[in-house]
Amino acid sequence: MRRLAAAVRKEFLQFWRDRMLVALVVFIYTADLVICTLALTFDVKNLTLAVFDQDRTPLSARLVERFTATDYFGRLVTVERFGEIDRLLDKGEADLALVIPPDFAGRATAGAPAEVQVLLSGVNSNTANAARGYVNVIMERFGHDLLAQAAAARGITTELPSVVPEVRIWYNPQLEFKHFMAVSMIVVASLMVGLITTAASLVRERETGTIEQLIVTPLRVEEIILAKAVPPFVISMASLVPSVLIAMGFGVPAQGALGLFLAASVLSLVASMGIGVFIAGFAASLQQALLIGFFVIFPLMFLSGTTVPVESMPRAMQILSLASPTRYYMEIALGTLLKGVGWTVLWPQLVALAAISLAVAAAGWARLARGGALGANA
Amino acid sequence: MILAALIRKEFVEIRRDPVTLALAVVMPLVLLFLFGYGISLDVEDVRLAVLDHDRSQASAELVERFTSSTYFRRVADPRSPGEAADALDRGRATVVLVVPPEYSRDLARGRPASVQVLVDGSFSVIGLIVSNYVNTIVSEHSMGLARRALAVRGVAAPPEVRVATRVWYNAPMKTVNYIVPGLFAVLLLAFPPMLTALSIVREKERGTIEQVYVSPIRPAVYILGKILPYAAIAFGEMLLVLAVGTLWFEIPLRGSLALLLAASLVYVFVTVGIGVFVSTSTHTQVAAVFLSLVATLMPSVLFSGFLFPIATMPYVMQLYTYAFPARYFTDVSRDLFLKGVGLEYIWGNLVLLALYAAVLFAAASLRFRKKVA
Repeated sequence: MRRLAAAVRKEFLQFWRDRMLVALVVFIYTADLVICTLALTFDVKNLTLAVFDQDRTPLSARLVERFTATDYFGRLVTVERFGEIDRLLDKGEADLALVIPPDFAGRATAGAPAEVQVLLSGVNSNTANAARGYVNVIMERFGHDLLAQAAAARGITTELPSVVPEVRIWYNPQLEFKHFMAVSMIVVASLMVGLITTAASLVRERETGTIEQLIVTPLRVEEIILAKAVPPFVISMASLVPSVLIAMGFGVPAQGALGLFLAASVLSLVASMGIGVFIAGFAASLQQALLIGFFVIFPLMFLSGTTVPVESMPRAMQILSLASPTRYYMEIALGTLLKGVGWTVLWPQLVALAAISLAVAAAGWARLARGGALGANA
Repeated sequence: MILAALIRKEFVEIRRDPVTLALAVVMPLVLLFLFGYGISLDVEDVRLAVLDHDRSQASAELVERFTSSTYFRRVADPRSPGEAADALDRGRATVVLVVPPEYSRDLARGRPASVQVLVDGSFSVIGLIVSNYVNTIVSEHSMGLARRALAVRGVAAPPEVRVATRVWYNAPMKTVNYIVPGLFAVLLLAFPPMLTALSIVREKERGTIEQVYVSPIRPAVYILGKILPYAAIAFGEMLLVLAVGTLWFEIPLRGSLALLLAASLVYVFVTVGIGVFVSTSTHTQVAAVFLSLVATLMPSVLFSGFLFPIATMPYVMQLYTYAFPARYFTDVSRDLFLKGVGLEYIWGNLVLLALYAAVLFAAASLRFRKKVA
């Protein structure tokens, strides 16, 4: 026990000495979280709408106003020729264009179907999809009002049947991407820090040759590795506190079972450190370890629903993601921090995460037993 | 002459480390497939749970509207509000349609009948698009009912206002058409900068750089001797990802191929130039790898507009995106692939890329010279 305590103390000293690495860990959990959450969003607001109103009647003006009254179409450009729309869309200076034909009001009042045209730039498919949705909703409502008006004009005063959708958005009523992003960044930080620090500290010791000195001490291999794991583990867990507070600052409610989140964080760190041990095992140099590390992190990140939900991915990738510990950690983090649910809902994820973490840790252990990760050139 | 010798020497060294070279070829392809398939914001087959308290013909008609659209797939029929909430909590359903018991009665009396729709908003992108779908479907249905009621009373149905939506550049609105052209810019920042940086820093670490210092090689020539071989490799890599990405994912190339290749060539020099520059500011391979990954690859993924649109970033961050060349190439690539515009639209970005490469080369040569002195 005292041996282990001394080893841990040594690792802490060494960890602290590399100020750059400590700073990096803290940066990832705090500043990076703030920057990315502030800057990166898929939300579609303030689209630029080009309007080509060939009708210029009160009715067409009312339709245009329906568009500008929402906060989706923040900027309005009026154009005089069709060619201008071409140019605006090509240059990316407008996201969509509304074209109202010359006989719009005439046809609408005469009882003929009136058609407006909407041209959308589909370059960013997500923006286009959202914009199309806004357009459809606005046009439906406008049509509805015209219908009611026409009915009233013909003396029908009793109400017509209508269905009103009351859409309630759960978990994120303002539909802000920020909330998802903040939670996702915490999950990614745990993956990156656990994996990189562990792999780097093992390989570095081997590269500088000081590992030989550790091996000839009475410390057992497990103790060496455990001692190495403690400092990054402690600093990561400690960094979770400011992280979650920052996320709450962005409006993440964090009302779920926080104990569950904590348990999942421990397991997830164990898993990513286990992967780090593995990488250290077959990396010949620190450079290779970092390289491999990065190219393990990327797939794990994208497979685990930290950027887009797992349900949106193709079937094969969904199945692949079942093996990723990060996937379960992400689900638990979203559940506890954003949705506010607890053990009864998330226990299957916790079980899966625990199983994978233990398997990875055990496999890493087995490698160590053979001296793999320490590379005790026997 | 010295230059030719330097280049030959570099290729000998590259051949000696086939693992790294293989990694440089295979990893971009792996990332290409991963991003191409994995990042999809297309919203279809939304999982719908229906809690129908009314169980009338009218409510069945409304539900039918949802299930017959291609957007929704009915996955659950909860029997209580508790079960409905549970379906959302567990993520089994993304949207729950709740039809109240008085739905058909209200409709029959000509009163506005309301239905409740619960949407999982945790991933706001999907939440937003789904709530738009819901609003449109319910409004359409409502309109149909009103028309029917008018027809029953013998009133000719009043006119309709229709909207014809045309999507330009990416008519099927597929995410992959948006992601893959931008991906080319990001993939090229994953390996060439690092390979180049390592090749110089390795010489520093091993001390063989001293031999260069004492030789009559001029700094600019030395730098060029590093840039040219790696630019050749990077261009090969670019051709590979361009070919695989375009053919496999069937991305339409509407613009000129020659222009795309020319732009790629310019971009390749930027990526290699970054590597050279990084190598002049670091002394160890670890630092070089870290700097080229953390300072170039990560921001390029996040801040190039490849994934997250730049226009929605705060103004300061928008300015920050100009620091990363991936941004310019992402623009050029999308313009050429999807919009099919010509040189007159993309020359600005091309000039900036060329300037970027020139500045990197000059800065690297200068810094290198200082060390010699």
